[in-house]
Amino acid sequence: MVEKRDLMVIGGGPGGYHAALRAAQLGKQVTLIEQGEIGGACLNEGCIPSKILTHFASEFRKQGHLQKMGMVMGEASIDLAKLKSFREEKIKGLRAGVEGLLRSRGVEVINGTASFLSENRIGIESGHQFSLFEFKQAIVAIGGKMVYPPGISMESPFVLTEREALTMTEIPEGLIVSGHDYVAIEIAAAYAALGSTVTLLMEGRLPFDQSIEREMKRLLKKQKVSVVTEVTIMSVSDDGGVEVDYESSAGTRQVNGTHLVLCGKSEADLSRAGLDRLPLECEGGKIKVDGEGRTSIPGVWAIGDVTPGPGLAIKAIKEGKVAAGAIAGDKGEVDLEWLPAIVQMDPPVACAGWSEEEAENRGYEVVCSEYPFRANGFAGLKEETDGMIKIVSEKGTSLILGIHMIGSGAVELISAGVLGLEMAARAEDFTFPLYPHPSSNEALMEAVEELTGHAVHLQRRRKKAVQ
Amino acid sequence: MEVKLHDIGEGMTEATINAFLVGVGEQVRADQPLVEVQTDKMTAEIPAPANGIIKGFNVKEGDTIRVGETVLIMGSGKASTAAKRASSATAQKTRIMASPFTRKLAREAGIPLEKVRGSGPAGRIMDEDIHSHLQVEPPPQETPVRTEADSIPFRGRRKQIASKMVRSVRTIPHCTHFEEIDVTELLAWKRDVPDVSMGAFFIKALSICLKEFPIFNGRLDEEQECVHLQHAHHIGVAVDTEEGLIVPVIRHVEEKTLKDIQKELKALTNKALNQTLTVKEASGGTFTVSNVGPLGGSIGATPIINEPEVALISFHKTKKRPMVNESDEIVIRSMMNVSMSFDHRVADGGTAVRFTNRLRDFIEKPGILLMEMI
Repeated sequence: MVEKRDLMVIGGGPGGYHAALRAAQLGKQVTLIEQGEIGGACLNEGCIPSKILTHFASEFRKQGHLQKMGMVMGEASIDLAKLKSFREEKIKGLRAGVEGLLRSRGVEVINGTASFLSENRIGIESGHQFSLFEFKQAIVAIGGKMVYPPGISMESPFVLTEREALTMTEIPEGLIVSGHDYVAIEIAAAYAALGSTVTLLMEGRLPFDQSIEREMKRLLKKQKVSVVTEVTIMSVSDDGGVEVDYESSAGTRQVNGTHLVLCGKSEADLSRAGLDRLPLECEGGKIKVDGEGRTSIPGVWAIGDVTPGPGLAIKAIKEGKVAAGAIAGDKGEVDLEWLPAIVQMDPPVACAGWSEEEAENRGYEVVCSEYPFRANGFAGLKEETDGMIKIVSEKGTSLILGIHMIGSGAVELISAGVLGLEMAARAEDFTFPLYPHPSSNEALMEAVEELTGHAVHLQRRRKKAVQ
Repeated sequence: MEVKLHDIGEGMTEATINAFLVGVGEQVRADQPLVEVQTDKMTAEIPAPANGIIKGFNVKEGDTIRVGETVLIMGSGKASTAAKRASSATAQKTRIMASPFTRKLAREAGIPLEKVRGSGPAGRIMDEDIHSHLQVEPPPQETPVRTEADSIPFRGRRKQIASKMVRSVRTIPHCTHFEEIDVTELLAWKRDVPDVSMGAFFIKALSICLKEFPIFNGRLDEEQECVHLQHAHHIGVAVDTEEGLIVPVIRHVEEKTLKDIQKELKALTNKALNQTLTVKEASGGTFTVSNVGPLGGSIGATPIINEPEVALISFHKTKKRPMVNESDEIVIRSMMNVSMSFDHRVADGGTAVRFTNRLRDFIEKPGILLMEMI
């Protein structure tokens, strides 16, 4: 027997569940299929567990400051078993929250493995049961699969994936982290804060504006993370620990540690969910979609890691909402131009918009300013004076083209930057409004003021007035 | 030095920028293609008028501009290091000054923001700009809303066709006559030469008729008070595309074999469908053929002459019909109607009838065509 459904969402990760909830809000009858746990990799294995680790590391580092202020506590130590139960409890709580939301919106949730049988039929296997569904619309939100560099045995107890690294039961003495994006930096910085000696081997350069990259490297070095960029790993051997031979611009080198963490790349896995049975148009191994998530097959939509672009929950969530809106008759658009990039190290990095180099390559004549957090009073009293804010703007019009920061509170502060970029703000749009005082927010205002050399709290101007 | 969009074909008034073939700061040589443009009929490249450096673009890819508008600025001398840094094809400002709410208004109205001129500070696009743009240029309806009437865009190629048709009908006193032709034998003949289409045969037969009736391959020059009888038979073939009617031209049909014509007809039809015709391939016709038979259904029409030509002929659907033969028997024959419109200023009905009679003879007895082959 074939059951009929209006909208089926395949995958209950952040993209899928946002799509299901938005479609339900807009009056659609929605069926969500998930083969594992609701929340997907983000909630259960990736973002949330990693943020628990980075938050824990960051708070652990604050103990010296708190004691200095007069907070009396004993000698701090780390109980990873307790952290594990805290993490599990939090993940369970968040997952229950999402499940509750789905229930309250009347979304039918089916636990099972979905497989497209044709362009409008899906089979769902759940244990020994197989059910057949005919749908009007389907959103493919199956996420990606992690791919690791070949030639390295993942069987070794000393070689871990980034997800395994988040749940280690003891602090490794010597950690080597190999990666290509923010995940590697976060793991390296977190374990350094918890006491590991860390070597970070980055595949490329740090993917940020050069000023931020410089400051990141300086702060990581200060936290005893040795950073080597543009690295190719030649060989890994393990014998009670790991020995990594690599090549970089400095030549061939070797580094030893107790553990090696390999950070994978998220790729679309089109062999799953019977996608290979559908004549879907693809590009670069991912499903090609328009600005609202339509694939080349009418009635089949795709969002998240199976579509082109970075494998980030932030993108999947936006795409899920837009696709659901489009199915319900709204006109939406996914525009990732001002997608913020975040690294939850301590202090965190948060950037939106174009780097100085990118803006120049796009044909702009740019003016930049740099403002250190040490000039901000509130950061001073918190003893969180590391880092800086860099503003990239167009000469003559003062149109803001990029906002880049590393420093305490940067992740929250960047929202103002993203809003400004979306509104096509110019310098005055940032400097005119009233800012809470005292607060880190003022650092953003003064960084923009510094475009004309008018930052009040800078004793020595880094740049003369340029406009 | 300003490089402008110039008239690259008959009657073109505007073109869309398809792609830039050079980047800002790039050194170019005279005649080097700079920009590819798409008119309503064809794609063409605008070449560099002299050696120099590309200083900047005044238009964006996708823009539709009018003849005479400046496409890019060129300077003399060699590219500087600073210019080289920005020489990639993406080195153009891409920031559109509009808030998300304004962008949503544009999205819902189906207006590309690139086409809206901002009236706000520093050219910022305001909500009012979207509203006023809508009044000036209503957007194409992707999914027409059921109101009292549906509307579809009347721009680009459709508008170009319209103005050309109006001009033709206003200028030329059209006269159309009809004929029915028995194609039974031609169909039998074609079975032996499957590589040649009926269309190619008609074009060849027409060319032979034009030799005998050169008036229909003429061009009226009222100022000089004469009709230029052209020797070359450049036969235009009307192609029905999604974007509208396009007429690629098979040149010098009088010198070509049926096989040549067939090959060229196929290639040009494909180019017309893919919108890759060049200026030369879609202009300079002396006589036009419209073969609507493959579409089915039509038994007659009053086609409008592709001015400044003198005549145009349409071939309609072939149908089996009961006919009376010379022995007064009713026989089943494959019959096709043709409609021929001609300029009554330069030819009369009698000449036109004789022209189609001759054509009919070739089609009804394909063997006769052999007698005329060079």
